[in-house]
Amino acid sequence: MSNQKQTALVICPGRGTYNKDELGYLHRYHADKLHILDAIDTERAVNGQKSVRELDSMASYSMKQHTVGENAASLIYACSKADFMAINRDKYDIVGVTGNSMGWYIALAVAGALNEANAAKLINTMGSMMAGGTIGGQSIYPIVDENWKVSPSMVEQVNSAMAEVNAHPDAELHESIRLGGYMVFGGNDKALKMLESILPKLEERYPMRLFNHAAFHTPMLDDIAKKAQTLLPASLFQAPEVPLVDGKGQIWQPYSTDVEKLHHYTLDAQVNRTYDFTKAIEVSIKEFAPDKLIVLGPGATLGGAIAQTLIMHKWQDFQDKADFISRQKVEPYLLAMGMEKQREWVL
Amino acid sequence: MKDSNTRIDEQFVSSVLSGDLPAIDSLLTPRDAGLSPAELVDLFETQVMSRHLDLQSRLMQKKGQSFYTIGSAGHEGNAAYAKAFRYDDMAFLHYRSGAFVIQRSKQVPGQTPLYDMLLSFAASSEDPVSGGRHKVLGSKDLFIPPQTSTIASHLPKAMGAAYSVGLANKLDANPVLQDDAVIVCNFGDASANHSTAQGAINAAAWASYQSSPMPIVFICEDNGIGISTPTPSGWIKANFENKPGLKYMSCNGLDVLDTYKTAQEAVAYSRRTRKPVFLHFHTVRLLGHAGSDSEFVYRDMETISAIEKKDPLLHTAGILLDNEILTPQQVVDIYQGVKTKVARIADYAGQRPRLEHADQVLESLVPEKHDPNLPEPAQPIDRAELFKHEKHNLAKPQHLAKLINWTLMDVMASNGNVVMCGEDIGRKGGVYNVTSRLIEKFGSPRVINTLLDEQSILGLAIGLAHNGLLPIPEIQFLAYVHNAEDQIRGEAATLSFFSRGQYTNPMVIRIAGLAYQKGFGGHFHNDNSFAVFRDIPGVIVANPSNGADAVEMLRECVRLAQEEQRVVVFLEPIALYMTKDLHEAGDGLWTFPYVEPEKAEPIKLGDIGQYGEGQDLAIVTYGNGYYLSRQAEKRLSEQGINTRVIDLRWLAPLNESAIVDAVKDCDHILVVDECRKTGSISEAILAAFVENAAQLNAQPSMIKRICAEDSFIPLGSASYTVLPSQDSIYEFALDLVKGKTATHVERVEPSQEAENV
Repeated sequence: MSNQKQTALVICPGRGTYNKDELGYLHRYHADKLHILDAIDTERAVNGQKSVRELDSMASYSMKQHTVGENAASLIYACSKADFMAINRDKYDIVGVTGNSMGWYIALAVAGALNEANAAKLINTMGSMMAGGTIGGQSIYPIVDENWKVSPSMVEQVNSAMAEVNAHPDAELHESIRLGGYMVFGGNDKALKMLESILPKLEERYPMRLFNHAAFHTPMLDDIAKKAQTLLPASLFQAPEVPLVDGKGQIWQPYSTDVEKLHHYTLDAQVNRTYDFTKAIEVSIKEFAPDKLIVLGPGATLGGAIAQTLIMHKWQDFQDKADFISRQKVEPYLLAMGMEKQREWVL
Repeated sequence: MKDSNTRIDEQFVSSVLSGDLPAIDSLLTPRDAGLSPAELVDLFETQVMSRHLDLQSRLMQKKGQSFYTIGSAGHEGNAAYAKAFRYDDMAFLHYRSGAFVIQRSKQVPGQTPLYDMLLSFAASSEDPVSGGRHKVLGSKDLFIPPQTSTIASHLPKAMGAAYSVGLANKLDANPVLQDDAVIVCNFGDASANHSTAQGAINAAAWASYQSSPMPIVFICEDNGIGISTPTPSGWIKANFENKPGLKYMSCNGLDVLDTYKTAQEAVAYSRRTRKPVFLHFHTVRLLGHAGSDSEFVYRDMETISAIEKKDPLLHTAGILLDNEILTPQQVVDIYQGVKTKVARIADYAGQRPRLEHADQVLESLVPEKHDPNLPEPAQPIDRAELFKHEKHNLAKPQHLAKLINWTLMDVMASNGNVVMCGEDIGRKGGVYNVTSRLIEKFGSPRVINTLLDEQSILGLAIGLAHNGLLPIPEIQFLAYVHNAEDQIRGEAATLSFFSRGQYTNPMVIRIAGLAYQKGFGGHFHNDNSFAVFRDIPGVIVANPSNGADAVEMLRECVRLAQEEQRVVVFLEPIALYMTKDLHEAGDGLWTFPYVEPEKAEPIKLGDIGQYGEGQDLAIVTYGNGYYLSRQAEKRLSEQGINTRVIDLRWLAPLNESAIVDAVKDCDHILVVDECRKTGSISEAILAAFVENAAQLNAQPSMIKRICAEDSFIPLGSASYTVLPSQDSIYEFALDLVKGKTATHVERVEPSQEAENV
């Protein structure tokens, strides 16, 4: 590892990253930073919700408790924020921050566009939007081959499946997230079931329904977006301290950010239109050219999507999955803090 | 002495921190200009990005990573007017428009302008615009067709694109531009003197003056100097201030507030009135003309220093400080932060792969095929109605001019996006009636009578093509194309090449040309040189010798343009337009029945024509030469010489293998070329025979050519003295086959010859 200070771009994870293996993450890695939970748990106490402290300390992992939006959002945020604070700033200059889906809220928080209390409020509020009943769901399906290279035929397959589903009057299906080598669909139950019957089963799990996930990033959440804008005013926001790359690939610079516009994007198009994480990564690597990409924990499930995006753009000359994995073993370009070995590079 | 890069770079930081900033003439506040503080900082960041790209390109050049350093320094105010346009207002830009491109990229999320431009500097094959073929400013997403550094040659097509905006929605087409689009086109003060610029601006004003929609904002970025030649003080204003049909506006390009405000007014005016604006943008040039330019040779240091103090970035910094939007340290932080970032990206981009093989380079010369996917015609084609005026003639054999006219009739009826344009092609029907009645059938929007300026005609066509229309421009005479040929050579033909096929401008350029007009007209109406097209990569040149071929070839040309997005020249032999007979008066052998589209037997690109199977002699020819050779062939056969006559039909690209194949079993080969001995296609054909000698039956000494003299075409009967004739072909062939010694080929009297053609 070079001793020279390097540049890093930070990527914040979305939902579904605090899984069984991550139970106790905060207490395991961040016992010294539990004070960051004060603001988060104060917000949750006001809403009568179980504290993050408690959730992270539970004896066993519960799908019901740990994956439901109103708990998972704050839990993941706390872990990510703590990881962000743990990055060794003597080794890395952070040149930009991006995130996937809910990770956008975390990105706002760690980049300083939301202060501690406002971040806790926004993330908990948005995480709890489905508490009264989940609107639609999400399903994921690959568009890359086994070597993580985009397969035009699979892209075509996905597009035609979507058209076929939407031809049915009761079905509603949208592109929810462009996630590197995966397409995340958002739709109603009918649509997602149809999709499962149309798309060939791959690796015995795809198309895979994402448990406890709503149809975020689709027009099915238009009302939620309106509600969010009412509950969460622009006054919660401020300009970021480091550049942010959003889910359309737009860059928000510290001195030129229009806070009203940032608020509007976050609680409008970000909520009810496709989240293009693939584009966010493309813009991040090309317009910031960081020495490293640091993926905050918990978990490391974004790694594949990021690697697939790097391969798409031949970034660092990554050719395919095998090439990526072998080079990661020698000197990783992508540092996932949710992976023990790569975490060491960051601390 | 520090180099200009260092001077400019250091001066910015020290001036901001010390408060030594240039005076601002305007009293505008950001609010007056319609800009929020965040928007103003955003513009400043764009300017800084553009500046550091320029500085970095010179550092990259020193490292051998960049090959082109002409930049935007001093012109970064164009960021402010970029913001006044919509991203889909198509922009035809000159090479100092880095800040414009960056600012526009911010209107479309997901753009990567820094990386993309640095790849372009590095000539990397991963450059998304040209794929490493040139440092161009361009983007498909941003409606910026790529432009190289040719001078002002982009103005005619910008004018054409502007004209297309009002036209496209009247047609069955798939326009690229919105109905209310405004075109933006910038250029320098020195370029404004160029005839191309003058012609394009004149054409825009000419159209506007007679109330034709022409929504375009021409922006003259006046830095007061063209390389080393100063622009006379006040010259640009004096030139354009009072031009009829053109609204003149002026702004201080150093002041982003004034520029943005004025540009907004200009855009609003042009969008509302559909009239052209000339926006005079006053600025300075920093860092010399380009990296290789030693400015101190022609400007003293005092002058250079005074200009450097007018740095537009310092002006914007001053506005930010005066309005307490940023502190000096924050301004410097932005500046240094961008500098570090650009250097980091450049380090990476500079090492990306380049084009390594010729076939990679050639890949984008010819664009990919595409489905034009035209809308169904509003009304079904009623051919009976279309040809009602000709119903008594339709079944009768016709001459070339009539058959081209009828083909155009069918082409226009079945291709709703086809638009014709040219001098006198409207009610007059063209000089030779080839476009007769088209205006009556299809209306003046689709049959445009243009002003007398070939650059504008071709520019109009290129611009129309940028908006999804299929133009068929007409150049009245071949000689007239020569003052405008750069529109084909430098613009139309290069567009696919420099854009990786992302932008195309398909068209069929009809040109009446070649000689033999019965002594009429002299050189300018009988020009017999089309060499100018033959070396342009990717351009197709078609040349029918008779009406039957012309019908099928013109249809194929339209298909090549429509489906394969090709630039095609359709060269029509004027002298054969009205020719009806071949061997004797009244034989009607040069008239042909019109084959309707449904019964067509296509002549595809590269298909050659052949008359006869004789093996004694093959005559390889085209155009008038084919006609004359057919006459000679009859006489030769009477002499027992069995001849075949090959009609090239397609002059570029030359189908060498088909030609060789067609003559390989012949004992003698004669190439008949009505164009000049020097530079004519006969040279290429003979070279092909030499290179393929092993396949030929004819020995090298049995392969000859007869060409026109290296002369211009004189008036009257003298014209025949310099052209191959039926008799000279006959004599030459006889000599070649029978072995008679004929060092001098006797020519027939011009008066006799004139009867033949």
